[in-house]
Amino acid sequence: MHPDFKATPQEPGMSPELTRAILTRTSGDPCHRLQSLACDFVDGTLEAEQASLVRLHLGHCGACSALVGALAGLQTDLSAMAQVDPGPWFTQAVLRATRHLPIRQGADLREFWWRLMHRPRIALEAAYLGAAAGLMGIYLPMPVPDLALRIPALVQPLGDSALRVAEQMAQAERRTTTTLQRSLRPVAKPRLDSLRRGNLWPRVSSWIKARLPFFLRTPPSPPSPDAEKAPPANPG
Amino acid sequence: MELPQLLALVRRGDELAWEAFVRRFQSRVFGLAYHYTAQAEDARDLAQEVFIRIYQNLALVPGEDGCLPWIIRITRNACIDHLRRRKARPPLWDLPADEMFDLRSTDRNPEEAHLEAVRKTMVHRALQELTDLNREVILLKEIQGLGLEEIAAILEVPVGTVKSRSHRARLELAQKLVAAGMGA
Repeated sequence: MHPDFKATPQEPGMSPELTRAILTRTSGDPCHRLQSLACDFVDGTLEAEQASLVRLHLGHCGACSALVGALAGLQTDLSAMAQVDPGPWFTQAVLRATRHLPIRQGADLREFWWRLMHRPRIALEAAYLGAAAGLMGIYLPMPVPDLALRIPALVQPLGDSALRVAEQMAQAERRTTTTLQRSLRPVAKPRLDSLRRGNLWPRVSSWIKARLPFFLRTPPSPPSPDAEKAPPANPG
Repeated sequence: MELPQLLALVRRGDELAWEAFVRRFQSRVFGLAYHYTAQAEDARDLAQEVFIRIYQNLALVPGEDGCLPWIIRITRNACIDHLRRRKARPPLWDLPADEMFDLRSTDRNPEEAHLEAVRKTMVHRALQELTDLNREVILLKEIQGLGLEEIAAILEVPVGTVKSRSHRARLELAQKLVAAGMGA
């Protein structure tokens, strides 16, 4: 332990239990306060007044002086752990592994795509993006007609895996459209064609607006019995 | 030789320069990987993988000041990927974490060397008991000596978080060492 952090013997007549009991019933446990200052104290960034108070506490508290001693020891221990010898054969192994590798002048697209596809969460991210793209494909009008049909041709240069993903996305989009068509058929049969043409939401909302007054209209009151018994008006 | 000159020679394909580059950084890369994985064999494989990546992407290696943080960043990324893979598919057996690593130090005598090695082993074990973020902050700041801004960029957290985490992690580590009987 660092000599500065050693607890000094108590003066005659002083009881550490008494001091602790008084502090516990008045200001609280000073060890908690010291813990918040310990790192700055060890780093030497604490103000002089605070540092002298910390030193005074450390002189009487064995637990805190042990903690501060361990913190001070960590500074040298941790910095010495930065370099670990990997063994005598490591350099030769690296040189052998890199002997026939070409040095690339810059990052190429194929490397980027390979790394992207081998990320640990690529399946989750692809599913999320696929779902988002499917929903956007349904609810937003396509800027270019028949873009969905052209996507496989667009991503073909990126490789087979990209082509498979694009085909699966297109298939998922077709299935979602079919399912929506089936589920909405009883409700919006006259407007089913809008699903195929895109731009669904404005059409559905206008359809709902057009029919809303019909549903909100108050029902007609039932005919009164007197009206039923009323004689026909002037049959002759 | 200065690092920019060394890098220029490596980029031209000089094998001796590449060997010097590997020797300059191998202890740091292996040390970081070892503290992340706690397995010397895994750390050796990861360090080799990192150097292969560096060799393949020599054009991307920054100059003098940015080189070490860049290497530490890609080492850290490789370690995180490895730990995720190991978590998803744990190995059938684990090598004992006790295997002693050869810490680079200027030893005075065998007894002091042994005590120092025991001390570092205890610190290494205590490090493994910290939370992931606290351990990473200790690894990058206290062990590798990176600045607060560099650590904040690597961990993608605010600088204030790194600072407060650093204090908390050091305190937690010291408490574990005291509990293990090392602070007395």
